[in-house]
Amino acid sequence: MNSFVVFGDSTCDLGKEMREKYDIEYVTMNYSIDDEEYVASLDWDEQGAKKHYNLMRGGKRVFTTQVPKNVYYDSFKAVLESGRDVLYISCSSALSASINTAILVAKELEEEFKDAKVYCVDSLISSLGQGYLLMLASQKRGEGLSAEETAKYIEENRLRVNQCGTVESMEYLRRAGRVKASKAFFGNLFGVKPIIISDIKGQNYAYKKVKGTTNARAAIADHIVDAADGVYDTILISHADCEAEAMILRDEILKRAEFKEVIIGYIGPIVGASVGPGTVITFTFGKEVTIEGNE
Amino acid sequence: MQQFLDGEVLNSAFTVGYRNLKKNMAAINDLNVFPVPDGDTGTNMVHTFGGGLGAVTAQKNVGLYLRELSRAVLLNARGNSGVIFSQFIRGLYCGFENKETICFADLAYAFDCAREDTYKSIISPTEGTILTVIREATDYLTANADKFDDFKSGFEALLGCMKDTLVRTPQMLPVLKEAGVVDSGAAGLVCFFEGMYAYFCGLSFDDIDEIEFNAPKGEISASFGPDSVMEYGYCTEFVLQLMNAKTDISSFSKDEFVKPLESLGDSIVAVVNDGIVKIHIHTFTPEKVLEYARKFGEFVTIKIENMSVQHNETQVAPQKEQVKYAIIAVASGQGISDYFYSIGASLIIDGGQTNNPSVDDFLKAFDSFDAEHIIVLPNNSNIILTANQAAELYKASDVHVLPTKSLVEGYSALSMMNLWCDTVEELIDDMSSGLSTVVSAFVTTATRDTNIGGVEISKNNYIGIKNKEILICDQDRFKCATELVSNIMEQSEKEVIIVFYGEAVSEEEAKCFKDWLEEEYSLADIGFIEGKQDVYDYIISLE
Repeated sequence: MNSFVVFGDSTCDLGKEMREKYDIEYVTMNYSIDDEEYVASLDWDEQGAKKHYNLMRGGKRVFTTQVPKNVYYDSFKAVLESGRDVLYISCSSALSASINTAILVAKELEEEFKDAKVYCVDSLISSLGQGYLLMLASQKRGEGLSAEETAKYIEENRLRVNQCGTVESMEYLRRAGRVKASKAFFGNLFGVKPIIISDIKGQNYAYKKVKGTTNARAAIADHIVDAADGVYDTILISHADCEAEAMILRDEILKRAEFKEVIIGYIGPIVGASVGPGTVITFTFGKEVTIEGNE
Repeated sequence: MQQFLDGEVLNSAFTVGYRNLKKNMAAINDLNVFPVPDGDTGTNMVHTFGGGLGAVTAQKNVGLYLRELSRAVLLNARGNSGVIFSQFIRGLYCGFENKETICFADLAYAFDCAREDTYKSIISPTEGTILTVIREATDYLTANADKFDDFKSGFEALLGCMKDTLVRTPQMLPVLKEAGVVDSGAAGLVCFFEGMYAYFCGLSFDDIDEIEFNAPKGEISASFGPDSVMEYGYCTEFVLQLMNAKTDISSFSKDEFVKPLESLGDSIVAVVNDGIVKIHIHTFTPEKVLEYARKFGEFVTIKIENMSVQHNETQVAPQKEQVKYAIIAVASGQGISDYFYSIGASLIIDGGQTNNPSVDDFLKAFDSFDAEHIIVLPNNSNIILTANQAAELYKASDVHVLPTKSLVEGYSALSMMNLWCDTVEELIDDMSSGLSTVVSAFVTTATRDTNIGGVEISKNNYIGIKNKEILICDQDRFKCATELVSNIMEQSEKEVIIVFYGEAVSEEEAKCFKDWLEEEYSLADIGFIEGKQDVYDYIISLE
């Protein structure tokens, strides 16, 4: 049995297969459509995901809520009761305030279980970027690192996970208030793609515009390959119901460098709600991010 | 030595004249004889001539040039002096109508025409105004114009004559004398000729100082209402004629007169000259000041202004937006303009093919920002010239005119703008990145029968234009548009097609065209914008 349990949350976008492979748990956020509330599970099948994104395409708004306190409490407590520690790697605090609740719960539980530890680390990223940090944590655990050592490692290396992607419309990010961008990025810019990275504060930052899809693919591939800094291990690509585009982007990246592993997956309902259908995001581990989005 | 002028040289001389007029605009506005401030003669003359100048392009033939100019100046005429000024230019045109070039002696006849036109335009002509300057200059030229064989020496003498009239305007018009000023319209005309004279002396644009604009006037009602607090008192000024019946003028002492005023107010300025007292005082009780002063004589003029109003007006005057970059685009069509604002333009100047904005329009637009850098996106070649001219004149910000020759190119630049660029060079690079490859296409109605480049064109049919070249003429607009796009796409496959459809195009027709494009070019990004523009039914960007 592992000495500690690694938790992500609904924004880590790791599908069941990946979570099982790396033995990763996750706490769930909630979302609602038409006042109907749903648990943000990452176990939807392709049909479910398509249906969800088609609702969004049809104009349905999706509202999201953070991880409820009792979910943290119940999930972490069960682990502590089994005599293991918890390492929770949260969604970027710039995108969700969930981690604040987690820290409160951690304090309460550490009082209740005197010898137990609950480590909460802000991933400063989301989607498969957060997912990649969870995979890394799992690997470190496998190498025999303690929960504390692993938490420290993740904290020291989290900014080395690079993100680069584009959205079909900036409208979702704008409405959700989850992007740093100048006014010039909004509005209906036909054929102009914003290139969005995650900055040193874990904010989505539209830092560049590119004309046309072909150029956007090239810009993203160039950016992410450069970010890998010569070590071509893993590329992760998450998409909001545009798998074909994710494939083209993968090929574009592989043309530039032969990564050993490519992981492609759906963007879950929480991240999906703030980026919108047609979003495709790539991640890799390499150079430390130094860009900070302007106010 | 400038013996002969053609239209282009005349245009340059007028431009410098205009600049000098503009430079002195505030001073001319201040030549105000009325108790209620209405001093906007300078502003009106500047707008009148500037508006005209900006709307025409210089051409060699003097007569043809003046025909365009006089029309444009008349269209822009504002205010009394502005209208007289426009009649003056019209008169010059009548005098030079058949001239290709002119020499100084020709001015005598032209001025005579101008004098006639200006006097005719006023129901009851008043002497001691701009009219007198024109009339006396005409008399002078009639007698002396043929003595000068070049413009520099001619203008020197002409200007001397005009200035002589100007300083005598107070003697001809009592209201001026009372206020102690010269006539504002006459001063404006003299400033204009002074600028022209400077031009003939070889001074260039750069020798003339920066332009200063008047602060916009606020609404009085907005700044001083029923619940306002009277904080600053009244600025009270009057000219008092001392009366023998009331006081002994020969022994009148300014100091003794002023002493009691000191308990009634402050900022006192007093001038006594030849039985006339001029007083300036800030007081909460102007009635007491006047009551006191009237013990010594009778008023010639009185001006009392509520300073809280003035104060509030400066307070409510809109603050200029302080920005690093301001992006000013020229566009016509409400839909296009709204769309441009939505994607980040700071200001849209209304203008296009049939409505070129003037230099002054640009200067005003520049001046509405407190910007480090201003980027201008014109929408045709003429407007690029005007914008460049304005950029040259404007000193408060660093102005860059991107050579965008159509709305499509303007859109291309605007869409690539990223206001976070650290340097303006970077920003311009980004904005220019698509300009070399974007294709502008237009569908409009032919205005006459003709044959251009092998395309047979019939009046009122639709023509499809790629950049500047007419490719298609068809009686059906939809067919014209689709063939135009097919033709362009055959030559080079474009990824992004954006259509701005005009006022004349119905929603249904636009939808048909959109469906066709989506079917035909399924891989392209296709955008439709209700541009509401006139002239061009479709403006299409292919990138």
